[in-house]
Amino acid sequence: MSELLQVNDLRVRFPIKGGLAGILDRERPTHVDVVHGVSLDIRHGETLAVVGESGSGKTTLAMALCGLAPVLDGEVYFDGRLLDKDKNNYLVPDRKRIALMFQDPTGSLSPRMTVRKLLAEPYKIHTGLSDDPDQSALDLLSLVGLGNDFANRYPHQLSGGQARRVGVARALALNPDLLIADEPTAGLDVSIQGEVLNLLADLQQEMGLGIMIITHNLNIVRHVADQMAIMYLGRFLEQGQSGLIFDHPRHPYTAALLAANPSTDPDAASERIELTGEVPGLLKRPRGCEFHTRCPRVQPGCLEQFPDSEGTRAMQAWNCIHPLS
Amino acid sequence: MDKPVLDIRDLSVSFLTERGLLRALRNVNIPIDPGRIVGIVGESGCGKSTLISAIIRLLAPNAQIDSGSILWRGDDLLDLEPDAIRALRGDEISMVFQDPMTSLNPVLTIGRQMTDVQHRDNRSKAEKRARATRMLERVGIPDPVEQLDRYPHHLSGGMRQRVAIAMALMTEPGLLIADEPTTALDATLEVQIIHRLQQLQRDFGCAILFISHHLGVIAELCDEVVVMYAGEVVESGSTRDVFLNPRHPYTQKLLDCDPARIKKATRNLPVIGGSLPDLVELPDGCVFRPRCDISIDRCRSERPGLEGSNHCIACHLARQ
Repeated sequence: MSELLQVNDLRVRFPIKGGLAGILDRERPTHVDVVHGVSLDIRHGETLAVVGESGSGKTTLAMALCGLAPVLDGEVYFDGRLLDKDKNNYLVPDRKRIALMFQDPTGSLSPRMTVRKLLAEPYKIHTGLSDDPDQSALDLLSLVGLGNDFANRYPHQLSGGQARRVGVARALALNPDLLIADEPTAGLDVSIQGEVLNLLADLQQEMGLGIMIITHNLNIVRHVADQMAIMYLGRFLEQGQSGLIFDHPRHPYTAALLAANPSTDPDAASERIELTGEVPGLLKRPRGCEFHTRCPRVQPGCLEQFPDSEGTRAMQAWNCIHPLS
Repeated sequence: MDKPVLDIRDLSVSFLTERGLLRALRNVNIPIDPGRIVGIVGESGCGKSTLISAIIRLLAPNAQIDSGSILWRGDDLLDLEPDAIRALRGDEISMVFQDPMTSLNPVLTIGRQMTDVQHRDNRSKAEKRARATRMLERVGIPDPVEQLDRYPHHLSGGMRQRVAIAMALMTEPGLLIADEPTTALDATLEVQIIHRLQQLQRDFGCAILFISHHLGVIAELCDEVVVMYAGEVVESGSTRDVFLNPRHPYTQKLLDCDPARIKKATRNLPVIGGSLPDLVELPDGCVFRPRCDISIDRCRSERPGLEGSNHCIACHLARQ
């Protein structure tokens, strides 16, 4: 299958506006690298899951791909075409082909607009896609399995799962090729979580969407993702086919994450690899491999430089000089 | 068996709304024995938050107690004067909230907040600071003395939640209520917090009421588990019994839905069809009947009570 999205060594840097403290303190850093050299591929009809803890840069990566975060360097090819940057170094994507589903389902919907208006809005901005935006809004509602009676409701009259469906409908309004879903199941109950994920899987099959899911829920990754990437302090430590990684993680961080996942079987033998220590701050990036401060397999060589990638991205690749065998 | 520290008996709570009485909790019975960790599982809208608010008497003004009692070491919390309940809160019953960023004050240092919670003690400032330092050490915070002068935004999410736990344990309470304390953390930190809580529970001997919708966390941490649905307790018992041998159809479906239990990758995840009943106009009979696959005629007319001695189930069919 052809590449829908190809990202090479993307870096996102935010300036730190120091105020008075910045002027007085010369040592104070002037910028923070939130995404620190990320490469990835997403093919048509495939799902990539980006997994990582809060603060690892997952959302910033998504924002950068939508042109909402300043890119320091790196290349992004969308459908074979290199995306331009504007003068502030934001990417200029073809907006209607890349859709974003925000993390907070209710918060991302305007409280003063009805569902009908919310769904018709994309067609009013990108004119020429629909002759009758109101009718298209109703079509979208049925696509995500909500009845016509939802059209006149306001966001506060929707449950979390319903608001999420409206978010899916809005993201799909313009027939995008790539959907970026930021924590699509956060805050949802297990019984509804399945509904939203099944809906995404069905729509993917129908429309051949490429999907990038950002999550910290490993349990769902196994079921929804073809490819996965483990993010830590703005870098991918391991990436590749999710089946291979689940069966045989090579990076110690991946192994710890997979083992940490609490099981509902009270008798489950816990072969825990408990990580000690704290997640270092982005401003004080550890030297060498950034994971060495918490790594159970750390050795002196780990402090020298960030390890090069081994293996192949399409199968399984990891950045570790002492990987698990 | 010791007498329960907290004994919730036949508790029913409603809210006065424009549409009528919303019956948020109905005949809830939960005993919590000293030194036990009791988990409450249930989806949004099942009444978990109403239950906590009722225990610490922070119900919204439009709430009313329809029946029941909440016995704290034998005294009914629902009868206590506002002064008496204030003395109990934080001192005997303390809480850890879901989001440590919003439960800690962003403009005060950790040390200031940790001495403030000791306002009832007649100790010198230096002693209070020393106690705070020791407590931070016990929850596993590195360089505790240094942390006292830092602000919440300096700390990572996992550290903030540990500070919140340290503050809650400062007064050596008899009961710690933890409301989804690990939801905002990733898997490795979640495990750290759970193990820390287990350790602290052994050291302090307090009972813990742990609320979560993460089934795995409950299975890992709790001695007993209470499953709630739409304001009722539908199943309760030891964690082993409930998770290994779930007998209420709702518990069974809830466990089936957990993607962690499905070992083979699938694109078609199970869901529980239908939606929660309207708590203003409750259906007759069993509250789960509209979504239940195995209901019989009796379920339509007669509401099943919670029955059993150790493993209790509220279902007409499960007992047969």
